[in-house]
Amino acid sequence: MANFHRLPVARGRPVRFTFEGAPVDSFAGETLATALLAAQVGAFGHTREGNPRLPFCNMGTCFDCAVQVDGRGLVRACLTDVVEGMVVNMQEIK
Amino acid sequence: MHDVAIVGAGPAGMAGALQLARAGLSVVVIDEQARAGGQIFRRPPEEFGVRHGQYRPYGWARDLIEDFEEHPLIETRFRQTVFGILRDPEGQISLAVSDGQRGTRIKARRVLLATGAYDMPVAFPGWTLPGVMTAGAVQSLLKSQKLLAGRQIVVAGSHPIQLILAAQLLEAGADLAAIALARDLPGFLEMARTLPAIPGNVSIFTEALRAMAVIARHRVPLLRRTLISAVEQTGEGPLRISLRKVDAQWRPVGTAREFEADVLALGYGFTPSTELARQAGCALSWHSAGGGWTVQHDDNFRTGVQEIFVAGEQTGVAGAGRAHAEGLVAGQAIAHSLGVGADPLEVNRAQALLKSSERFAGVMQTMFEPNRTALADLSHHSATVICRCEEITSGQLEDALTCNPFLTSASAAKLECRTGMGVCQGRYCEGTVAARIAMHHNTQIAQAGHFNAHLPVKPVPLGAYGDLDH
Amino acid sequence: MTAHFDTIIIGGGLLGCATAWMIAREGGRVLLLERDQINQHASGSNAGSLHFQLEYRMIEGGLDKARKAAEAMPLHLDAAELWADLPRLTAEPIVVKQTGGLMIAETADQVRLLEQKTEIERAWGLDNRMIDRAGIERIAPYLSDRVIAAAHCTTEGKADARTAGPAFARAALAAGAHIRTRSEVRALSRRGRGWSVVAGSDESPQTLQADTVVIAAGVWTTRMGQMMGADLPTIPLALMMTVTQRMAPLIGHLVQHAGGRLSLKQALDGNILIGGGWPARLLRDAEGTPDFDAKPQLEASSLAGNARIAMGVLPRLAGVPALRSWVGTTTITPDQLPLVGPVPGCPGAFVATGGSAFTLGPSFAQALAALVAGRQPLTDLRSFDPARYAKG
Ligand SMILES: Cc1cc2nc3c(=O)[nH]c(=O)nc-3n(C[C@H](O)[C@H](O)[C@H](O)COP(=O)(O)OP(=O)(O)OC[C@H]3O[C@@H](n4cnc5c(N)ncnc54)[C@H](O)[C@@H]3O)c2cc1C
Ligand SMILES: Cc1cc2nc3c(=O)[nH]c(=O)nc-3n(C[C@H](O)[C@H](O)[C@H](O)COP(=O)(O)OP(=O)(O)OC[C@H]3O[C@@H](n4cnc5c(N)ncnc54)[C@H](O)[C@@H]3O)c2cc1C
Repeated sequence: MANFHRLPVARGRPVRFTFEGAPVDSFAGETLATALLAAQVGAFGHTREGNPRLPFCNMGTCFDCAVQVDGRGLVRACLTDVVEGMVVNMQEIK
Repeated sequence: MHDVAIVGAGPAGMAGALQLARAGLSVVVIDEQARAGGQIFRRPPEEFGVRHGQYRPYGWARDLIEDFEEHPLIETRFRQTVFGILRDPEGQISLAVSDGQRGTRIKARRVLLATGAYDMPVAFPGWTLPGVMTAGAVQSLLKSQKLLAGRQIVVAGSHPIQLILAAQLLEAGADLAAIALARDLPGFLEMARTLPAIPGNVSIFTEALRAMAVIARHRVPLLRRTLISAVEQTGEGPLRISLRKVDAQWRPVGTAREFEADVLALGYGFTPSTELARQAGCALSWHSAGGGWTVQHDDNFRTGVQEIFVAGEQTGVAGAGRAHAEGLVAGQAIAHSLGVGADPLEVNRAQALLKSSERFAGVMQTMFEPNRTALADLSHHSATVICRCEEITSGQLEDALTCNPFLTSASAAKLECRTGMGVCQGRYCEGTVAARIAMHHNTQIAQAGHFNAHLPVKPVPLGAYGDLDH
Repeated sequence: MTAHFDTIIIGGGLLGCATAWMIAREGGRVLLLERDQINQHASGSNAGSLHFQLEYRMIEGGLDKARKAAEAMPLHLDAAELWADLPRLTAEPIVVKQTGGLMIAETADQVRLLEQKTEIERAWGLDNRMIDRAGIERIAPYLSDRVIAAAHCTTEGKADARTAGPAFARAALAAGAHIRTRSEVRALSRRGRGWSVVAGSDESPQTLQADTVVIAAGVWTTRMGQMMGADLPTIPLALMMTVTQRMAPLIGHLVQHAGGRLSLKQALDGNILIGGGWPARLLRDAEGTPDFDAKPQLEASSLAGNARIAMGVLPRLAGVPALRSWVGTTTITPDQLPLVGPVPGCPGAFVATGGSAFTLGPSFAQALAALVAGRQPLTDLRSFDPARYAKG
């Protein structure tokens, strides 16, 4: 368990979205990567061979954080801000 | 049509944009991040209610960012990815840009590529496990998202930035199980002694010395001549991180020590982001100390493709000061190429900055050049994944090299065994593949060459292609 | 290694490698010279379609041109049989899937064109049949309902262009052939009853001897001809291809379009390959001479046009991430028929190129192996004689 946690600083207003159908609470200004890591999500997706992946580079180059957002595939969670009501799922196939 | 399109709003891109805008030229700057600053000056988002982040020790950063954000002639497009460079039948050059859904083209008379660098990937058993991250990832989550990655962290690498990161993590309340540096500490101290010889450089190194004090105060084990060797994890348990003592050539001596942590932060150096330059046809040259493949350019930072200029880490990784200076000089050169001369005082200032940063960068690069062969050898167990996306192992690559004795280049290996064909476009395996080919054939890494880069340099939906001829 | 060979093959694409294997397994002492790495040019960058029915470029110019192009059908029929057998014959894991090809129609005119075309093809012995909308729904439900009919050729399909060339190279090595990469042929001359070949780097060129030479140099064929003083006319064509991210199995066929440039298929790894002959731009010097050593440039109009026609017949592709679009250069000929046979005026020298020479590579190689051995090829090659243009 990777144990990611928010430092106590001022953040934006609360934003709620879903990941794999479950609600996730976050704050405006956070990226999807931050919100999912802070929610202690154990895998953003799985490789073809079934291995779990979490963000690796957090700067838009590795694509390990890619998720599906509102039906769009290969969206980099580290470059995408949370939006109220967003529907986030794991990638079907990596 | 813009006079100049700039890719990247880091120190190099911002400095270039300001020079051009001050010369009265119209500039558009595209960056896929949410705000200006680049990798080193990643800031908290506007929603957190602060304008600036922590830029120590770069005093100039605050002004640079403010001037950049406030200049009326600079148009910015954040959260957009430049996925290729195209040329019309008439010869006009343009950038293919996507917001993740649609595509568009931005035409400009000149292009400045200031795309920076990313943490150099190192493949070893377990490097794909959740919780194993680059130092840049851990640092940017902390700096801009105020998210601490892990309670218990191990920091491993060879670059002085590792010390800075360690101190930042400690100050944020993390518990560091160990800091492992592949080099001996005297390397850093020697470095300190050379500093006074390079006047006017506040650097990541002075910052590293400050960081050492923080580390000492927290009594974190600082393991010298120690290299990562493997990471294991059982179920949801902690990462079990094996660190091994190495000799001066980074060859393992003695047995591994195991540490437990939630997160492992890796920093063995940086790789320049040269893929747009490659795709556009700019020639590269091998410069190991500068991060590997760098973009060839003349004194004006013009590449072999006449409309395209480069500045910052793509010319050789040399830190923020150097990137800033190159941005200034490249901006002036571009303005000059469009018939606008710069203020001689400004030109002198930029050249002076370039010169002083050059000496500093040279010392830094040679002292902290990673031992590529030793790092590639960390993947010698045949089951070790070298290509994270396609999950190609070093055993599969070695088999391909053995069965196909005529195969001696990185691009031929890519075609044969799919390493580098996944979504990261080969960024995270190219170095390992080339180094392993060199080891296999007993040649130099540069001889194995690099992967070709293609449009899109970062994947975009096919739908974005459909808009490109509008 | 001796410096004298029975045959020297110039070019390590699919054709050169397959020819080396076929000659070596008959006991010929053969050396293949490749100036780059194996399979790095057209053979490693093509779509891997096994085309047996007439392609769009052969029918877009009218029925007469289609009839002319159909003269190559015997080579296609050979290829259809050969590909199916290659994994066994080479004992290499060459991936070949002959699961059928569809050339689709969206308009009544296109349907009529397909009907006329299948008639020509059937006369040559190719099993290509029209299917209607109901047939499409049955075998290719993934296609948009804009598709109203198709020509269905059951032997068509795909092979893995990524790995086929090297597989032939390995089979050639196993059969005793020699292969030298990073070895450019710089001069070729007649010497006694054979050929003298200068190859290697500028600093250390080496002279090699052979009884026969085979030109398997793809788009560089015309240049090799000039080196030997022979006219080998070809038309260079720079083309673009796109591959998407992997998807779950969706497209089982090789899909082409009767009304435009499209080829669409799913690779074994799940990636979708999209092409169909969309042009890239060859770089040319001031006189207009193309530079085959420089990477051709992508055209925005081709990227957009190819994506649109693909999304038109398979709308969900719009959201699928494109991973790479690349370019390659290949050859066609003025009459759309390949060049296969002796190099005019050069005894002991043979050549093959032109058209869909990935599909036809094994047929060409089989013919070349017979020619160097002094045998009559199984297929009548008269229509493909490289001397035909000179004859007028
Ligand atoms: C994590 C990290 C930490 C670092 N810390 C330090 C440090 O402490 N001190 C130091 O001196 N150096 C540090 N460096 C090195 C650092 O890269 C440089 O010093 C400096 O940031 C380089 O400036 P730049 O303008 O060349 O590139 P960057 O600052 O990296 O800026 C490049 C920008 O280009 C954008 N970009 C790239 N490709 C595209 C594209 N295709 N489309 C759209 N946008 C694109 C990126 O999003 C990025 O914002 C660090 C590097 C990294 C990666
Ligand atoms: C984008 C694209 C898509 C295509 N799609 C298909 C398809 O789906 N189906 C199909 O059947 N065909 C297709 N084709 C055509 C097909 O790829 C070619 O016809 C075929 O690969 C030609 O093979 P080759 O071995 O003759 O040539 P190449 O693969 O080009 O090999 C020629 C080799 O000769 C070498 N060479 C040249 N000069 C010298 C010298 N002086 N000394 C030493 N070596 C030399 C070159 O380096 C090269 O490796 C496509 C082509 C392209 C470009």
